Amino acid sequence: MTDTVIALDGVWKIFGSNADAAMAAVRSRGLGKAEVLEEFKCVVGIADVSFEVKRGEIFCVMGLSGSGKSTMVRHLNRLIEPTAGAISVMGRDMLDLSQAQLREMRAMNIGMVFQHMALLPHRTVRDNVGFPLQVRGEPKSTRWEVSQRCLDRVNLTGFEDRFPRELSGGMQQRVGLARALASDPDVLLMDEPFSALDPLIRRQLQDQFMQLSAELNKTTAFITHDLDEAIRIGNRIAIMKDGRIVQIGTPEEIVTRPADSYVRDFVEGISKLKLVFAHSIMVPLADYRPTRPVNFEESPRAHHGTDLDQLIDIATSTENVIVITGDDGADIGVVDRATLLKGIQGGKA
Amino acid sequence: MKDTTTQPQQGQSDIAVFAGDSPFYYQREFQRIQGKTGFAGSWNTLAAIFGPLWGAARGVWGFFWVFLMLELFAFVQIGRGLWGELGAEQLTRYERLLDNIAKREAQAAELAAAGDAAGAAAKQKIADNLQAAADKAFEAATAANSTALTILGAGLLLLLVIKLAEGFYANIAYEAQYLRWRSGQKVQSGRSNRSLLFGAVALLGIWPLTLIRFTVAKPDEVLSALTGGLFGTRLPITEFPVGKEYFAVLSKKGDAGFDWLAANFGDVFDGVTAVIRWGLDGLEVVLIQTPWPVVMFVTVVLALRLAGSRVAIFTAAALAYLAFMGLWELAMITVALIGAGAFLCVVIGVPLGIWFGKSKRAYAIAEPVLDFMQTMPAFVYLIPIIAFFGTGKPPGVLATLVFAMPPVIRLTALGMRGVPEATKEAAIAFGCSRRQLLFNVELPLALPSIMTGINQTILMSLSMVVIASLIGAEGLGALILEALQYAAKGQGLLGGIAILLCAMVIDRIAQGAYRRRAGDG
Repeated sequence: MTDTVIALDGVWKIFGSNADAAMAAVRSRGLGKAEVLEEFKCVVGIADVSFEVKRGEIFCVMGLSGSGKSTMVRHLNRLIEPTAGAISVMGRDMLDLSQAQLREMRAMNIGMVFQHMALLPHRTVRDNVGFPLQVRGEPKSTRWEVSQRCLDRVNLTGFEDRFPRELSGGMQQRVGLARALASDPDVLLMDEPFSALDPLIRRQLQDQFMQLSAELNKTTAFITHDLDEAIRIGNRIAIMKDGRIVQIGTPEEIVTRPADSYVRDFVEGISKLKLVFAHSIMVPLADYRPTRPVNFEESPRAHHGTDLDQLIDIATSTENVIVITGDDGADIGVVDRATLLKGIQGGKA
Repeated sequence: MKDTTTQPQQGQSDIAVFAGDSPFYYQREFQRIQGKTGFAGSWNTLAAIFGPLWGAARGVWGFFWVFLMLELFAFVQIGRGLWGELGAEQLTRYERLLDNIAKREAQAAELAAAGDAAGAAAKQKIADNLQAAADKAFEAATAANSTALTILGAGLLLLLVIKLAEGFYANIAYEAQYLRWRSGQKVQSGRSNRSLLFGAVALLGIWPLTLIRFTVAKPDEVLSALTGGLFGTRLPITEFPVGKEYFAVLSKKGDAGFDWLAANFGDVFDGVTAVIRWGLDGLEVVLIQTPWPVVMFVTVVLALRLAGSRVAIFTAAALAYLAFMGLWELAMITVALIGAGAFLCVVIGVPLGIWFGKSKRAYAIAEPVLDFMQTMPAFVYLIPIIAFFGTGKPPGVLATLVFAMPPVIRLTALGMRGVPEATKEAAIAFGCSRRQLLFNVELPLALPSIMTGINQTILMSLSMVVIASLIGAEGLGALILEALQYAAKGQGLLGGIAILLCAMVIDRIAQGAYRRRAGDG
């Protein structure tokens, strides 16, 4: 478990002056969100949230507005104090930290990117990126050097001396990203970073972010209301509704096995071609009963991790069935046209 | 199709619920009003007859009060026409004059009997003059009495017009109330006896007293006779039955309080005065004892560097005006006074503003105090300031403070509250301490607002210069005060222009400096 970087255990947040009493009532009587609001005039922000994020993982939290996802992510650097539960980041109990330790942790280990960029309008791009280092008390030379490096990374070389208002939305958010990277944190918190951007720019930034994340090996909690984005970016996805996590899983698990009707509604419009893989639709070699003679020798071979999109490419270039191979290269199953079409239609065999 | 048929019915039944009594009448009339864009000509006979009382019963209080007053006005005219003793004043004068004439004539007869023909003639002459005056008074009295009919006619006509207005306006007002009722605001629907009772009581309280006051020549006596001495004698209606007794007690208490403070905290006040005097003296030494070419040169260069060539040219022209009018020294004294005042305002006001910007509760408490400081006439706090701090320049500075500090406090608080929460949150997320947040994020973002506040403070200090001169602060203000005392129009104008120029130079340089820094960077 040494590579668990973020761990939440039974975290609750109830807003309102009567939060503690409401919490006790929730514990003892199991009140729901509406009842808490009625009885205590308190709003349940997040309810009993638990999950773990491993080192280098991009963990997406998906939910509609009001589902508590932004509240949740603010618990990770204690911008919001939880009402109950345990939060640990990099093996340290966040709730145990003194104010000074907390500030140090924020300045050194946890970077954050915001939906509305929240850049300082009176500072140049360079000084915005260097801000986390300034907070830490680094001298100007270090600050400038680091911010130059970070700006290079997000392809903003040459814009160092501009002011944020002179930049487009996409560029401003790249400055935000560079700022989050400046203190070289282990953990990145991304609060709907690309939601306010237009679709084309959003895609570019998603690609850039994934590339950076892979290069720098950051552990990321990524908040989004866009399931497409979550599937594109996330290694794992948590789906939140009314402050609770409804389902946690890999994109494939979410798409192929939605936990309830709420998730199913979300998943409905998602293209499954890149999320469903050969091993989940293939017919095992032993069970395969061909309707007509098949020449396995001339059949194309495909790894069991090939997605439907690629399988279609292969299938259109041959008359034969596709033989699926295991990790060791041995033949383990078969995908013929009927199986493939069914897979595209239903997402599973 | 279905909607168009059900929708009006829905509204119709709503109108019936709202109206309570006579639902069909109101359904019809409201429909007429809603179907027309201009004047619908919807007539309400009950409203025309009962006037304000209809409004009270239906809870249309705007209608009630407006027509209560209008009808009262018409009734007063009618009352004056019917019973008013219009010539009463002239008539009493006529009687007094007759009395006088009789006396003079008796004196004249006495003198004539004593053989003093000249004296008798003089007295007779006076009596004749008085007779002429008495005739005039009598004429005026009869003339006044004859206008009674005109007033009565005008009153009746007015009443008719008001009744027509009531009849035609009632349903319009009631329909507006219906719309408010529909949108869920708390307004009365239907007819209410409690409202009617309240309306009737208000009417009975207001109308008779007012009518008596305006129609009868001696209202208090008439009322006294009518109510057995309760109103009129014990409770006069023509003036409030309280003299200055409460006022005198409280103002004496106030005097004692201020005296006590002055006696017991004299040292504190002296200390404050000394500090301000020390600062002022320093500033005056710099501005006055430094050779004038140096001060002028430095000021113009400052304007050039900070605010550009146009402001520099303006500054040079303004300084030249001051110098050639021989107002240089006075102007420098004034600038020192304002400078000290504005400096203190900023030093005290900005931290207070930051505090009020952060704490809602502190601001809620401070707000009325700030209002008080800004709206209270300067003369009111000049009196205690003299009591505590004496006269001269330091109290002048303090008086300026009271008036000129609120804008910088308010605008600093406003600026602090205008800093976006998201920006503050981001700074905290990167590990800012409260101090770092204040100096790196909040103050820079609030700076435009703070600068506006400082600017306002400087300009308001200048407007206090004349008032400060009332308690002995020298400078251009004293020049204008003197002009006022001797009605020296030219002197006043020249002094006023000098103050204006001082203000503009300071303001332009400060603004220019800020704009340059905040501008293109």
